[in-house]
Amino acid sequence: MNRFDNIAHLLTSAVADFRRDKIRTALTSLGIMVGVLSVVMLIALGLGLKNYIQKQFQNLGANLILVLPGQGISGGPGPGLVGGAEFDEKDITALRRIEGLQYVVPAVFKSVAVEAGTEEKTGYLLGVNADYFDLIGVKALSGEQFTRTEVGNRAKVAVLGYNLADQLFEDPADGVGRNIRLGGLRLKVIGVNEKTGDNEQDKAVVVPYTTTYGSLNPKKTFWSIYLGVPSEEAVASVKEEAEEVLLRRYDADEFEITEQAEILSTINQIFGVINLVLVAIGSISLVVGGIGIMNIMYATVTERTKEIGIRRAIGATKRDILSQFLTESVVLSALGGVVGLLLATIIVLIVRIWFPVAINFLAVVMAIGVSSAIGIFFGVFPAKKAADLSPIDAIRYE
Amino acid sequence: MIKLNEVWKEYTLGDGTVFTALKQINFAVKQGEMVGIIGASGSGKSTLMHIVGLLDKPSRGKVLVNDRDIAKLNDDEISKLRSEFVGFVFQQFNLIPKLSVLENIMLPTIYARKKLAYIPEKRARELIERFGLAGKEKNTPNKLSGGQQQRVAIARALMMNPQLILADEPTGNLDSKTGHEIMNLFEELNQKDGVTLVIVTHEPLVANRTHRHVHIQDGEIVKEDKTPVRKREVRVK
Repeated sequence: MNRFDNIAHLLTSAVADFRRDKIRTALTSLGIMVGVLSVVMLIALGLGLKNYIQKQFQNLGANLILVLPGQGISGGPGPGLVGGAEFDEKDITALRRIEGLQYVVPAVFKSVAVEAGTEEKTGYLLGVNADYFDLIGVKALSGEQFTRTEVGNRAKVAVLGYNLADQLFEDPADGVGRNIRLGGLRLKVIGVNEKTGDNEQDKAVVVPYTTTYGSLNPKKTFWSIYLGVPSEEAVASVKEEAEEVLLRRYDADEFEITEQAEILSTINQIFGVINLVLVAIGSISLVVGGIGIMNIMYATVTERTKEIGIRRAIGATKRDILSQFLTESVVLSALGGVVGLLLATIIVLIVRIWFPVAINFLAVVMAIGVSSAIGIFFGVFPAKKAADLSPIDAIRYE
Repeated sequence: MIKLNEVWKEYTLGDGTVFTALKQINFAVKQGEMVGIIGASGSGKSTLMHIVGLLDKPSRGKVLVNDRDIAKLNDDEISKLRSEFVGFVFQQFNLIPKLSVLENIMLPTIYARKKLAYIPEKRARELIERFGLAGKEKNTPNKLSGGQQQRVAIARALMMNPQLILADEPTGNLDSKTGHEIMNLFEELNQKDGVTLVIVTHEPLVANRTHRHVHIQDGEIVKEDKTPVRKREVRVK
């Protein structure tokens, strides 16, 4: 008899057994299904989070250098994001002298309550100079963005992010010309920016940094400074010079100069670890599912001792019996794996509407591969027990 | 064909005592014979059948199948012999409940190691036809009467064209009329098809349909003859 008929028999026999006890089959597969679902979903969420954060940084523009207080984003010993240098206008003036630098943008960040008429929403106050719009590359949807003059005059004007304008006014474009209040400060909306897809920018109240001086920023300091260079080649030299300039005033551990590429690679590193942890957590449920399969397979072997005896009596070898039970456990767990993967795909497709989760090829291969491997691993002990039954004891079993 | 030389079978019981199931058995079956092994329950006749059917191994002594000593064969080789050399018919029919009649009959071919000279399904259908099971191919065993199930079991035993068919109380679970029909079938197989048969039984009526009677009692062969078996000869212990 050829191998193909044998395999066909193994599969049809397995399916016949599953049909005899559908509830048990479903419950056994459920363990693996939940395991695969959680692993795939956790990978998808990890990737989504990574994509989301990467996008936030990429929105800042490619040829961007960030000057941050403390040890910045890369961590390590030192004051960290809070503490360290407090930049002010002197630093801006000093940095402007660097050759090959296109933009120097001081930045003040603050989460604020924004009122317009009776509406009140949370937004991000972003105090910057007029170069900011060019540096980020964001255009006004309606109205206009402020200019150097308005920065110089400490004009009480604001440019709103699209989402914030949408929340405050019936139509985002309606905001132009209206007044908003930030605490005690009354500002006139002169423009609404187009949608960027970046949550912070779309919920921003962009004002001249000079306007924040006063109750919003009494010390007249900046949270960070953006440096824009015309080309990627200039990044390294500008970075070096900026460091020299700042070292005249601050200690080396009081500030950090990072470029886009570095931030992205740091993010990649962090998420590599996070994803690994997520997969490890998800794998626990896969192992639990595997134990469920092993448990049921042991019960099945005992229940079917007589059948094993009959098969042995008509010529089945130990290997035939082993293959039969292994096939069943692999089919059980692969079934759970495929259903889990399908469910995960559906959930991911739905979640994608709000959040950039993603299923990658690796997750799919892992889900199918790992669930089959679990079927083999946890099936092999019960199958071995079945194969090692003595034919005579098995056939006498009642 | 098959020969047992000085075969002993002993079991060590839970309390450490040794129970002797078979004592010094010398027994042989020749091609074309129809032999009855006759004994009461507990006499050791089933143990003897399991050893003849290569399901069990003796504690001592030799089992020769076509002059090959099975003690020298490994598990796979013995499985192959069970597949090709011998066919079983049991008192409990021992069909696989989830498989259909056709699948049950074809099951031995799944485990065949040799190339078959026939198409399994064609042969299975011929046997179904011959044994009056036509129309039941797709049924599962629980839809059949006892007699029909036993005929399926006999068809399964014949599927691989074995040299020897072993039947362990084949009529034990059947009424006397159906039992009689099954014995007719065995007789026909023996005389028309030349199938060698060993039938284990405690019923004189069944025993008397065989041509040579091996009486077994307390694990020993006490008598071997061709005279009719009388009821009192099969004493219950």
